[in-house]
Amino acid sequence: MPPLILDVGCGRKKYPGSIGIDMSSAGEADVLCDWEKTLPFRDSSFDQVRMIHIIEEVDNIFRVLAEAHRVSKPGAIVTIITPHYTDHASYCSPAHRWHLSSFSFWFFSDKPAEYDYYAPANYKERRVHVETLRLWRTFGLEFMINKFRWFRKFWEYYLSFIFRGKTVEWNLEVIK
Amino acid sequence: MGCGPKKYPGSIGLDMNASTAADVIAHLDKGALPFRDSSFDHVRGEHVIEHVADIIATMEEFHRVTKPGGTIFIATPHYTDYSSFRDPTHRWHLNTYSFLYFYPGGMHGRDMWYTKVRMLEKRNYVSLLRLWRALGFEFLVNHSKMFRQFWEHYLSFLIRGKLMEFTFEVIK
Repeated sequence: MPPLILDVGCGRKKYPGSIGIDMSSAGEADVLCDWEKTLPFRDSSFDQVRMIHIIEEVDNIFRVLAEAHRVSKPGAIVTIITPHYTDHASYCSPAHRWHLSSFSFWFFSDKPAEYDYYAPANYKERRVHVETLRLWRTFGLEFMINKFRWFRKFWEYYLSFIFRGKTVEWNLEVIK
Repeated sequence: MGCGPKKYPGSIGLDMNASTAADVIAHLDKGALPFRDSSFDHVRGEHVIEHVADIIATMEEFHRVTKPGGTIFIATPHYTDYSSFRDPTHRWHLNTYSFLYFYPGGMHGRDMWYTKVRMLEKRNYVSLLRLWRALGFEFLVNHSKMFRQFWEHYLSFLIRGKLMEFTFEVIK
């Protein structure tokens, strides 16, 4: 059986081969639902869940990630792409509620037990990839940020308002 | 809309707070405004859109109560100004492209499919801090589309914005 992929908030560019869900029928959705409340799927159904430019718009990131965790098989990958908060695109839409950095999901991964009560889903950060503005990429900054975690931290702390980011992509492995 | 104590002269003021100059007490976050469709020639929202629970729902209401061809004026801080973060009731941090969402073809040449609101941009002016204005940056940002884009992408955390003023023409 081919892997079962869920594209949450698929819009008009549904991921090929996936099941798309959205709130609007104007896109390519297979299932219409208010996915911010409950996903209409059984526990441990999917091999991959994709959330592309969606997480910055939801009411409650924790609830959405808890639902994505529930419908994912153990070991499944949840892919999230969102603007870095230093990119202009983070502020371009009146639907963007959240402005996130490349460390915004760290506490779902290897989190201390005392965080369980407010971030109940358990994930492991498998990949974090930052894209920067083109000018900074040509200077090798994007390479450095993604090659060395310590440099990404230094960039987030000291450099990111000057050498601005663009998007961040995570692959989070579902731990059950 | 959200007129506060300094209502625009000659207007009908709406606010959620009865100790303001409001003529009508209503809450922008609580459903339909108490006005008929296409009632107003001009709707003003000064420093109010950054406070509402749902900008799209509020713009839909502003659009509904404005006559076809009428105008909506919005003033709000640019997200690089400190005032965007000074007030704990500011929910949204916006830039000069934040209302493209409602323009015909505003989403990379296509209409946004999550809302039916359509309006044209008549004016989109961003003021900068006084130092940058004196050095001519405010003129450049408002008179060159290319410089505006470069400023939003690369410069706006250094040469920071202040107030944005938009005038939209309502299409129905």
